[in-house]
Amino acid sequence: MSESSKLYGLIAEFDTPAALMHAAEKVRDSGFRKWDVFTPFPVHGMDKAMGMRNSKVGWFSFIGGATGYLTGMLMIWWMNAVDYAIPVGGKPMFSPHGAFPPSYELTILFGAFGAILGMLFLNRLPRLHHPLLKHKRFALATHDRFFIVIETSDPKFSGTDTRKLLESTGSKHIEGVED
Amino acid sequence: MSSHSNPSSSATPLDLSKWRPLPMRLMVVGGVLALIGLLKPDLREQFAFSWLLSFMFFLSLCMGGWFLVLLHHLFDASWSVPIRRVNENLACQVRWLIPLFLPIALFAPKMYPWMGLSLNHTPDHALHAKESLFNIPMFYLVSIGCFFVWWFFTTKLRFWSLEQDRTGSAECTHRMRKLSYFGIFSFAITVTLAVIMWMKSLQHQWFSTMYAVYFFAGSVWLTIATVYLITLLLKRQGPLREVMQETQFYFLGSLLFAFTVFYAYIHFSQYFIIWNANIPEETFWYVLREKGSWWDIGMIIIFGHFFLPFLVLLRIDVKLSWLMIPVGIWAWLMHFIDLSFNIMPIIHPDGFVLHWLDLACFAFIGGFMVQRYLKDYAAYPPYPQKDPRFSETMGIHVPPVSSREAASASGGAK
Repeated sequence: MSESSKLYGLIAEFDTPAALMHAAEKVRDSGFRKWDVFTPFPVHGMDKAMGMRNSKVGWFSFIGGATGYLTGMLMIWWMNAVDYAIPVGGKPMFSPHGAFPPSYELTILFGAFGAILGMLFLNRLPRLHHPLLKHKRFALATHDRFFIVIETSDPKFSGTDTRKLLESTGSKHIEGVED
Repeated sequence: MSSHSNPSSSATPLDLSKWRPLPMRLMVVGGVLALIGLLKPDLREQFAFSWLLSFMFFLSLCMGGWFLVLLHHLFDASWSVPIRRVNENLACQVRWLIPLFLPIALFAPKMYPWMGLSLNHTPDHALHAKESLFNIPMFYLVSIGCFFVWWFFTTKLRFWSLEQDRTGSAECTHRMRKLSYFGIFSFAITVTLAVIMWMKSLQHQWFSTMYAVYFFAGSVWLTIATVYLITLLLKRQGPLREVMQETQFYFLGSLLFAFTVFYAYIHFSQYFIIWNANIPEETFWYVLREKGSWWDIGMIIIFGHFFLPFLVLLRIDVKLSWLMIPVGIWAWLMHFIDLSFNIMPIIHPDGFVLHWLDLACFAFIGGFMVQRYLKDYAAYPPYPQKDPRFSETMGIHVPPVSSREAASASGGAK
């Protein structure tokens, strides 16, 4: 680690999901906001231990779905009733029943777009690099180790106190991560 | 911290003693009023249709309960172990619908026009094409057959479930699973036949291949809402306090949401195909239901049966909130309205009428069925006691016997 480089955050390593869970509860209760945990597999109850709220992705898919529905309805109304009207079977030029199936399909399509784009946006993805990827031991997060990372950009972050907090959670390896 | 918690999780049990006599009172008052309808000749037709409506309503609950039991076994689900006894008890009440079918069996020639036609040998092409099913012996044969199948599967499934409470043997699970293989086919066939015979053939000229699925979707929707309310109450009162966790309520809420959409999908498809094809043999069914206040009932079904619950249940946290209680009660009202929409336009073509006999028959059958349910509830443990899946349901890891033996053979645990 060179002296001149900026610190991205502190990384603490744990051997078991249970240890990580208790550590996450402590970090949560200390009021940190910019921090995350990394595990080789999903750990049930971790969202609660981290104090995470509902993801905002739902709003993106809702807005996407509503846009899709309106697009379908408007498109069919414009094409069949205004721009190039063809009477079929004595039915009204525009009927919400007839326009419903395509609008419904567009609801699903745009809802899915909203969900995936919203997820990428909220996760700041795609990105070419992340400071954690330089960290040697971090690769173990895909194998058998569990990590907590607290970022220096968190308003509550302080070099010594945060390190002490992580030490008190029982982590054996606590290191700085270069930016 | 979790921002929401189940309304029942920490509360003290409610005092329900003053509600105890309610089912009995409903049964007595409803029974007396229904008897008046039965005996007065000018009310007899209304009585028969009101009875059919309430009969189909409680059949929905039994069929929904049976379906949830079948689903549990077919998917080898672990989350639904704590609610299984509630479902089994609901399903088993179908045996009490056998005596309650008698008025329908008795008045069938008056209710189903095709019975009269075939009696008088009136030529009717629509009936001629469907004669292999729509004839009088077939009506009673199908009814008896359905009840037999329902009685057989629901009692057998509960029998092995109770047997497992005693023995804890995995063999019982295998038995129930085998029953469910055959059960799901029997379910599809019998529910289709019953609903065609008892409800759809009120207008025998009509065609709809969606009809049975439509009834099924509404029934399971109603049942999930009911099971949510029953288990919520039982959690609050104590019997299910330890076993009904957030997972169970969340999954029930999600299933209710799924069936809200599924019901709308099916009902819309039925309407849309008929609307699009625009053939008089099919449209007449909906034309009748767009006259007078039936139009408004149709709107209530679109907005109340679908949009309102859909929008309410959309949020992830609602499935664990107090809002599920009004949604569950609303589901009862909506299913009642939905069945009215199907049955009642025959005798009230000018518009929706909430006749006092509707309420009387509902009170009588409802009071009776609730009493039977409570009797079964009191007789058996409130949830499966020794289901092999139980520790998994509760999120407890129990190492399999083979690995424990291997560990002790190799010199103890690591």
